[in-house]
Amino acid sequence: MKCKKIRHWLPLMVGLDLSEHKVKAVKSHLVKCTGCQQEYDAYVLSLEKTKEWLEEDKQNWEEREWQQAVQNAVKQKKPAISPFAPWPFTKTWAYSLMGVLAAALLFLFVIKPFNLREGIAPESEMFARTQAQLLRSAFQESPQEVVKMTMVLPETGQKIIWIFDKNFDLEVKK
Amino acid sequence: MWMKNDDELVSEVLKGDQTSFELLLRPYRLGLLNMAYRMTGNREEAKEICQDALIKVYRYLHRYEKGKSFKSWVYKITMNSAYDFLRKKKKSEDIIESQKDLHFATSPNPEQQFLNREIGSKIESCLRNLSPKEKAVFLLRDGDGFSVEETSEILKCSSLSVRTHLSRARKKIRAQFDKVNLGFKKEVNSEV
Ligand SMILES: [Zn+2]
Repeated sequence: MKCKKIRHWLPLMVGLDLSEHKVKAVKSHLVKCTGCQQEYDAYVLSLEKTKEWLEEDKQNWEEREWQQAVQNAVKQKKPAISPFAPWPFTKTWAYSLMGVLAAALLFLFVIKPFNLREGIAPESEMFARTQAQLLRSAFQESPQEVVKMTMVLPETGQKIIWIFDKNFDLEVKK
Repeated sequence: MWMKNDDELVSEVLKGDQTSFELLLRPYRLGLLNMAYRMTGNREEAKEICQDALIKVYRYLHRYEKGKSFKSWVYKITMNSAYDFLRKKKKSEDIIESQKDLHFATSPNPEQQFLNREIGSKIESCLRNLSPKEKAVFLLRDGDGFSVEETSEILKCSSLSVRTHLSRARKKIRAQFDKVNLGFKKEVNSEV
Protein backbone atom coordinates (compact mmCIF):
# COMPACT_ATOMS: atom_id res chain seq x y z
CA MET A 1 0.00 0.00 0.00
CA LYS A 2 1.18 3.50 -0.79
CA CYS A 3 2.64 5.73 1.93
CA LYS A 4 0.33 8.61 0.92
CA LYS A 5 -2.75 6.60 1.71
CA ILE A 6 -1.31 5.31 4.98
CA ARG A 7 -0.37 8.83 6.09
CA HIS A 8 -3.88 10.00 5.39
CA TRP A 9 -5.10 7.42 7.91
CA LEU A 10 -2.46 8.07 10.57
CA PRO A 11 -4.33 10.82 12.51
CA LEU A 12 -7.23 8.43 13.03
CA MET A 13 -4.94 5.47 13.62
CA VAL A 14 -3.54 7.07 16.80
CA GLY A 15 -6.91 6.78 18.48
CA LEU A 16 -7.79 3.52 16.71
CA ASP A 17 -10.68 5.37 15.10
CA LEU A 18 -10.38 3.40 11.86
CA SER A 19 -12.15 0.27 10.69
CA GLU A 20 -10.51 -2.99 11.66
CA HIS A 21 -9.17 -3.79 8.21
CA LYS A 22 -7.60 -0.32 7.89
CA VAL A 23 -5.94 -0.70 11.27
CA LYS A 24 -4.50 -4.01 10.08
CA ALA A 25 -3.29 -2.46 6.83
CA VAL A 26 -1.61 0.44 8.63
CA LYS A 27 0.03 -1.86 11.16
CA SER A 28 1.50 -4.12 8.53
CA HIS A 29 2.77 -1.08 6.59
CA LEU A 30 4.40 0.53 9.63
CA VAL A 31 6.49 -2.58 10.23
CA LYS A 32 8.06 -2.19 6.79
CA CYS A 33 8.22 1.62 6.44
CA THR A 34 10.42 3.70 8.75
CA GLY A 35 9.20 7.02 7.36
CA CYS A 36 5.56 6.31 8.14
CA GLN A 37 6.51 4.77 11.49
CA GLN A 38 8.26 8.03 12.46
CA GLU A 39 5.28 10.03 11.34
CA TYR A 40 3.02 7.78 13.39
CA ASP A 41 5.25 8.15 16.46
CA ALA A 42 5.07 11.93 16.10
CA TYR A 43 1.26 11.76 16.10
CA VAL A 44 1.27 9.51 19.15
CA LEU A 45 3.61 11.84 21.02
CA SER A 46 1.69 15.00 20.18
CA LEU A 47 -1.59 13.43 21.20
CA GLU A 48 -0.26 11.96 24.42
CA LYS A 49 1.40 15.23 25.42
CA THR A 50 -1.63 17.34 24.61
CA LYS A 51 -3.82 15.01 26.67
CA GLU A 52 -1.33 15.27 29.51
CA TRP A 53 -1.37 19.07 29.37
CA LEU A 54 -5.15 19.12 29.27
CA GLU A 55 -5.12 17.02 32.42
CA GLU A 56 -2.58 19.27 34.16
CA ASP A 57 -4.39 22.48 33.27
CA LYS A 58 -7.78 21.28 34.56
CA GLN A 59 -9.99 23.93 36.10
CA ASN A 60 -11.95 23.17 39.21
CA TRP A 61 -15.12 24.50 40.79
CA GLU A 62 -14.84 26.08 44.16
CA GLU A 63 -17.45 24.25 46.20
CA ARG A 64 -19.23 27.53 46.93
CA GLU A 65 -19.37 28.41 43.21
CA TRP A 66 -20.73 25.00 42.32
CA GLN A 67 -23.42 25.03 44.99
CA GLN A 68 -24.44 28.51 43.88
CA ALA A 69 -24.69 27.43 40.25
CA VAL A 70 -26.89 24.48 41.22
CA GLN A 71 -29.06 26.74 43.40
CA ASN A 72 -29.50 29.16 40.52
CA ALA A 73 -30.67 26.28 38.35
CA VAL A 74 -33.19 24.81 40.80
CA LYS A 75 -34.51 28.27 41.73
CA GLN A 76 -36.56 28.22 38.54
CA LYS A 77 -39.98 26.68 38.79
CA LYS A 78 -40.13 22.94 39.30
CA PRO A 79 -39.65 20.84 36.14
CA ALA A 80 -43.13 19.46 36.81
CA ILE A 81 -45.08 17.59 34.17
CA SER A 82 -47.99 19.90 33.41
CA PRO A 83 -50.32 19.69 30.39
CA PHE A 84 -48.64 22.85 29.10
CA ALA A 85 -45.12 21.51 29.52
CA PRO A 86 -43.04 21.24 26.36
CA TRP A 87 -42.52 18.09 24.33
CA PRO A 88 -43.70 15.37 24.59
CA PHE A 89 -46.59 16.79 26.55
CA THR A 90 -47.59 19.55 24.16
CA LYS A 91 -47.49 16.91 21.47
CA THR A 92 -50.17 14.89 23.25
CA TRP A 93 -52.02 18.13 23.81
CA ALA A 94 -51.72 19.10 20.16
CA TYR A 95 -52.82 15.67 18.97
CA SER A 96 -55.93 15.67 21.14
CA LEU A 97 -56.78 19.18 19.95
CA MET A 98 -56.36 18.08 16.34
CA GLY A 99 -58.60 15.07 17.05
CA VAL A 100 -61.35 17.23 18.51
CA LEU A 101 -61.08 19.64 15.60
CA ALA A 102 -61.26 16.83 13.05
CA ALA A 103 -64.34 15.38 14.79
CA ALA A 104 -66.00 18.82 14.78
CA LEU A 105 -65.31 19.30 11.08
CA LEU A 106 -66.59 15.81 10.29
CA PHE A 107 -69.78 16.52 12.21
CA LEU A 108 -70.34 19.92 10.59
CA PHE A 109 -69.68 19.06 6.98
CA VAL A 110 -70.41 15.36 6.64
CA ILE A 111 -72.94 14.25 9.22
CA LYS A 112 -74.88 17.42 10.01
CA PRO A 113 -75.98 18.42 6.47
CA PHE A 114 -78.25 15.35 6.13
CA ASN A 115 -80.02 16.30 9.35
CA LEU A 116 -80.24 19.92 8.28
CA ARG A 117 -81.70 19.04 4.92
CA GLU A 118 -84.54 17.17 6.63
CA GLY A 119 -85.64 20.21 8.55
CA ILE A 120 -84.92 23.23 6.38
CA ALA A 121 -87.41 23.78 3.62
CA PRO A 122 -85.45 25.57 0.84
CA GLU A 123 -82.61 23.12 1.09
CA SER A 124 -84.79 20.04 0.97
CA GLU A 125 -86.55 21.53 -2.01
CA MET A 126 -83.24 21.89 -3.79
CA PHE A 127 -82.34 18.38 -2.73
CA ALA A 128 -85.57 17.05 -4.18
CA ARG A 129 -84.90 18.83 -7.47
CA THR A 130 -81.44 17.29 -7.65
CA GLN A 131 -82.98 13.89 -6.93
CA ALA A 132 -85.45 14.25 -9.75
CA GLN A 133 -82.71 15.23 -12.16
CA LEU A 134 -80.55 12.34 -11.08
CA LEU A 135 -83.48 9.94 -11.39
CA ARG A 136 -84.17 11.18 -14.90
CA SER A 137 -80.56 10.82 -15.94
CA ALA A 138 -80.39 7.38 -14.33
CA PHE A 139 -83.28 6.12 -16.44
CA GLN A 140 -81.53 7.30 -19.58
CA GLU A 141 -78.58 5.07 -18.78
CA SER A 142 -78.61 1.32 -19.09
CA PRO A 143 -79.83 -0.37 -15.88
CA GLN A 144 -76.51 -2.12 -15.28
CA GLU A 145 -74.70 1.19 -15.20
CA VAL A 146 -76.40 2.57 -12.08
CA VAL A 147 -77.34 1.51 -8.57
CA LYS A 148 -80.29 3.13 -6.82
CA MET A 149 -81.00 3.27 -3.07
CA THR A 150 -84.24 4.64 -1.63
CA MET A 151 -84.95 5.57 1.99
CA VAL A 152 -88.41 6.65 3.21
CA LEU A 153 -88.59 8.65 6.43
CA PRO A 154 -91.61 7.31 8.44
CA GLU A 155 -92.37 10.63 10.18
CA THR A 156 -92.53 12.91 7.16
CA GLY A 157 -92.91 10.44 4.37
CA GLN A 158 -89.99 12.12 2.61
CA LYS A 159 -88.02 9.94 0.25
CA ILE A 160 -84.27 10.10 -0.06
CA ILE A 161 -82.81 8.43 -3.12
CA TRP A 162 -79.13 7.81 -3.72
CA ILE A 163 -78.01 7.00 -7.22
CA PHE A 164 -74.52 5.69 -7.84
CA ASP A 165 -72.82 4.87 -11.14
CA LYS A 166 -71.08 1.55 -11.75
CA ASN A 167 -67.94 2.83 -10.00
CA PHE A 168 -70.11 3.62 -6.95
CA ASP A 169 -69.52 7.35 -7.44
CA LEU A 170 -72.41 9.58 -6.58
CA GLU A 171 -73.42 11.18 -9.81
CA VAL A 172 -74.60 14.76 -9.87
CA LYS A 173 -75.70 16.25 -13.13
CA LYS A 174 -76.46 19.92 -13.57
CA MET B 1 -23.78 4.09 51.11
CA TRP B 2 -26.25 3.08 48.45
CA MET B 3 -25.52 5.01 45.25
CA LYS B 4 -28.45 5.80 43.03
CA ASN B 5 -27.90 5.68 39.28
CA ASP B 6 -28.59 8.61 36.99
CA ASP B 7 -32.06 7.46 35.96
CA GLU B 8 -33.14 7.00 39.56
CA LEU B 9 -31.84 10.46 40.44
CA VAL B 10 -33.66 11.95 37.45
CA SER B 11 -36.92 10.44 38.75
CA GLU B 12 -36.27 11.90 42.19
CA VAL B 13 -35.69 15.37 40.73
CA LEU B 14 -38.83 15.14 38.61
CA LYS B 15 -40.76 14.18 41.75
CA GLY B 16 -39.56 17.49 43.23
CA ASP B 17 -36.44 16.52 45.18
CA GLN B 18 -34.01 19.36 44.47
CA THR B 19 -31.09 17.89 46.42
CA SER B 20 -30.98 14.97 43.97
CA PHE B 21 -30.24 17.46 41.21
CA GLU B 22 -26.89 18.29 42.76
CA LEU B 23 -26.07 14.60 43.23
CA LEU B 24 -27.05 13.92 39.63
CA LEU B 25 -24.75 16.58 38.16
CA ARG B 26 -21.85 16.36 40.60
CA PRO B 27 -19.91 13.60 38.78
CA TYR B 28 -19.92 15.62 35.55
CA ARG B 29 -19.19 19.07 36.92
CA LEU B 30 -15.44 19.07 36.23
CA GLY B 31 -15.81 17.60 32.74
CA LEU B 32 -18.39 20.20 31.83
CA LEU B 33 -16.45 23.12 33.26
CA ASN B 34 -13.27 22.12 31.44
CA MET B 35 -15.07 21.45 28.18
CA ALA B 36 -16.53 24.96 28.35
CA TYR B 37 -13.19 26.37 29.46
CA ARG B 38 -11.41 24.90 26.45
CA MET B 39 -14.09 26.16 24.10
CA THR B 40 -13.82 29.75 25.32
CA GLY B 41 -10.36 29.89 26.91
CA ASN B 42 -11.74 31.83 29.87
CA ARG B 43 -12.74 30.47 33.26
CA GLU B 44 -15.41 33.04 34.04
CA GLU B 45 -17.03 32.49 30.66
CA ALA B 46 -16.82 28.73 31.19
CA LYS B 47 -18.75 29.14 34.44
CA GLU B 48 -21.32 31.25 32.65
CA ILE B 49 -21.77 28.52 30.04
CA CYS B 50 -22.12 25.86 32.75
CA GLN B 51 -24.67 27.98 34.58
CA ASP B 52 -26.73 28.28 31.43
CA ALA B 53 -26.41 24.54 30.82
CA LEU B 54 -27.46 23.68 34.39
CA ILE B 55 -30.55 25.84 34.06
CA LYS B 56 -31.48 24.10 30.81
CA VAL B 57 -30.78 20.63 32.22
CA TYR B 58 -33.12 21.35 35.13
CA ARG B 59 -35.79 22.93 32.98
CA TYR B 60 -35.84 20.20 30.34
CA LEU B 61 -35.05 17.22 32.54
CA HIS B 62 -38.37 15.58 31.62
CA ARG B 63 -37.15 15.42 28.02
CA TYR B 64 -34.24 13.19 28.89
CA GLU B 65 -34.99 9.65 27.71
CA LYS B 66 -34.25 7.19 30.48
CA GLY B 67 -31.97 4.33 29.54
CA LYS B 68 -29.84 6.56 27.34
CA SER B 69 -26.57 8.06 28.55
CA PHE B 70 -27.32 10.96 30.87
CA LYS B 71 -23.70 12.06 30.56
CA SER B 72 -23.99 12.45 26.78
CA TRP B 73 -27.27 14.32 27.18
CA VAL B 74 -25.73 16.80 29.63
CA TYR B 75 -22.68 17.28 27.42
CA LYS B 76 -24.95 17.92 24.45
CA ILE B 77 -26.76 20.67 26.34
CA THR B 78 -23.49 22.19 27.57
CA MET B 79 -22.02 22.08 24.08
CA ASN B 80 -25.09 23.91 22.76
CA SER B 81 -24.69 26.53 25.47
CA ALA B 82 -21.02 26.90 24.53
CA TYR B 83 -21.86 27.35 20.85
CA ASP B 84 -24.56 29.91 21.72
CA PHE B 85 -22.08 31.73 23.89
CA LEU B 86 -19.39 31.78 21.19
CA ARG B 87 -21.88 33.01 18.62
CA LYS B 88 -22.97 35.88 20.85
CA LYS B 89 -19.39 36.66 21.78
CA LYS B 90 -18.25 36.72 18.18
CA LYS B 91 -20.89 39.32 17.48
CA SER B 92 -19.89 41.57 20.32
CA GLU B 93 -16.10 41.37 20.34
CA ASP B 94 -13.00 39.97 18.78
CA ILE B 95 -12.33 36.51 20.23
CA ILE B 96 -8.60 36.54 19.73
CA GLU B 97 -8.18 39.74 21.70
CA SER B 98 -10.08 38.39 24.68
CA GLN B 99 -8.13 35.12 24.72
CA LYS B 100 -4.87 36.90 25.48
CA ASP B 101 -5.48 37.14 29.19
CA LEU B 102 -6.76 33.63 29.80
CA HIS B 103 -6.04 31.25 32.63
CA PHE B 104 -4.13 33.49 34.98
CA ALA B 105 -6.70 35.20 37.09
CA THR B 106 -7.41 32.39 39.54
CA SER B 107 -4.13 30.80 40.69
CA PRO B 108 -3.22 31.77 44.21
CA ASN B 109 0.57 31.32 44.41
CA PRO B 110 3.10 32.70 41.88
CA GLU B 111 4.92 29.41 41.32
CA GLN B 112 1.69 27.58 40.53
CA GLN B 113 0.64 30.55 38.47
CA PHE B 114 3.77 30.29 36.36
CA LEU B 115 3.29 26.56 35.82
CA ASN B 116 -0.38 26.97 34.96
CA ARG B 117 0.40 29.76 32.57
CA GLU B 118 3.01 27.67 30.82
CA ILE B 119 0.84 24.62 30.42
CA GLY B 120 -2.18 26.72 29.64
CA SER B 121 -0.45 28.64 26.92
CA LYS B 122 0.97 25.43 25.44
CA ILE B 123 -2.48 23.96 25.09
CA GLU B 124 -3.79 27.24 23.78
CA SER B 125 -1.09 27.18 21.12
CA CYS B 126 -1.89 23.60 20.18
CA LEU B 127 -5.61 24.29 19.89
CA ARG B 128 -5.22 27.74 18.38
CA ASN B 129 -5.76 26.81 14.74
CA LEU B 130 -8.70 24.52 15.36
CA SER B 131 -12.19 25.55 14.28
CA PRO B 132 -14.87 25.35 17.01
CA LYS B 133 -16.15 22.07 15.54
CA GLU B 134 -12.66 20.56 15.35
CA LYS B 135 -12.01 21.67 18.90
CA ALA B 136 -15.29 20.22 20.12
CA VAL B 137 -14.67 16.88 18.40
CA PHE B 138 -11.11 16.71 19.72
CA LEU B 139 -12.10 17.60 23.29
CA LEU B 140 -14.93 15.10 23.38
CA ARG B 141 -13.02 12.22 21.79
CA ASP B 142 -9.47 12.78 23.10
CA GLY B 143 -10.14 14.91 26.15
CA ASP B 144 -13.18 13.18 27.63
CA GLY B 145 -12.86 9.78 25.97
CA PHE B 146 -16.25 9.68 24.28
CA SER B 147 -16.45 7.25 21.35
CA VAL B 148 -16.84 8.54 17.80
CA GLU B 149 -20.51 7.49 17.89
CA GLU B 150 -21.16 9.23 21.21
CA THR B 151 -19.41 12.34 19.91
CA SER B 152 -21.60 12.34 16.81
CA GLU B 153 -24.66 12.04 19.06
CA ILE B 154 -23.55 14.95 21.25
CA LEU B 155 -22.70 17.20 18.32
CA LYS B 156 -25.72 16.09 16.29
CA CYS B 157 -23.69 15.15 13.21
CA SER B 158 -22.64 11.98 11.39
CA SER B 159 -19.80 9.69 12.48
CA LEU B 160 -18.13 10.47 9.17
CA SER B 161 -18.16 14.17 9.99
CA VAL B 162 -16.71 13.41 13.43
CA ARG B 163 -13.89 11.36 11.87
CA THR B 164 -13.14 14.07 9.30
CA HIS B 165 -12.95 16.81 11.93
CA LEU B 166 -11.01 14.59 14.33
CA SER B 167 -8.46 13.82 11.66
CA ARG B 168 -8.03 17.51 10.83
CA ALA B 169 -7.78 18.44 14.50
CA ARG B 170 -5.08 15.87 15.23
CA LYS B 171 -3.14 16.96 12.14
CA LYS B 172 -3.23 20.61 13.21
CA ILE B 173 -2.27 19.74 16.77
CA ARG B 174 0.61 17.60 15.58
CA ALA B 175 1.82 20.46 13.38
CA GLN B 176 1.68 22.95 16.27
CA PHE B 177 3.07 20.52 18.80
CA ASP B 178 6.72 20.52 17.73
CA LYS B 179 6.88 24.31 17.70
CA VAL B 180 5.26 24.60 21.12
CA ASN B 181 7.19 21.79 22.75
CA LEU B 182 10.54 23.06 21.46
CA GLY B 183 9.81 26.63 22.53
CA PHE B 184 8.80 25.50 26.00
CA LYS B 185 12.01 23.48 26.53
CA LYS B 186 14.14 26.48 25.57
CA GLU B 187 12.21 28.77 27.89
CA VAL B 188 12.54 26.43 30.88
CA ASN B 189 16.28 26.02 30.32
CA SER B 190 16.83 29.78 30.18
CA GLU B 191 14.81 30.20 33.43
CA VAL B 192 17.07 27.65 35.19
ZN1 LIG C 1 5.24 4.38 4.28
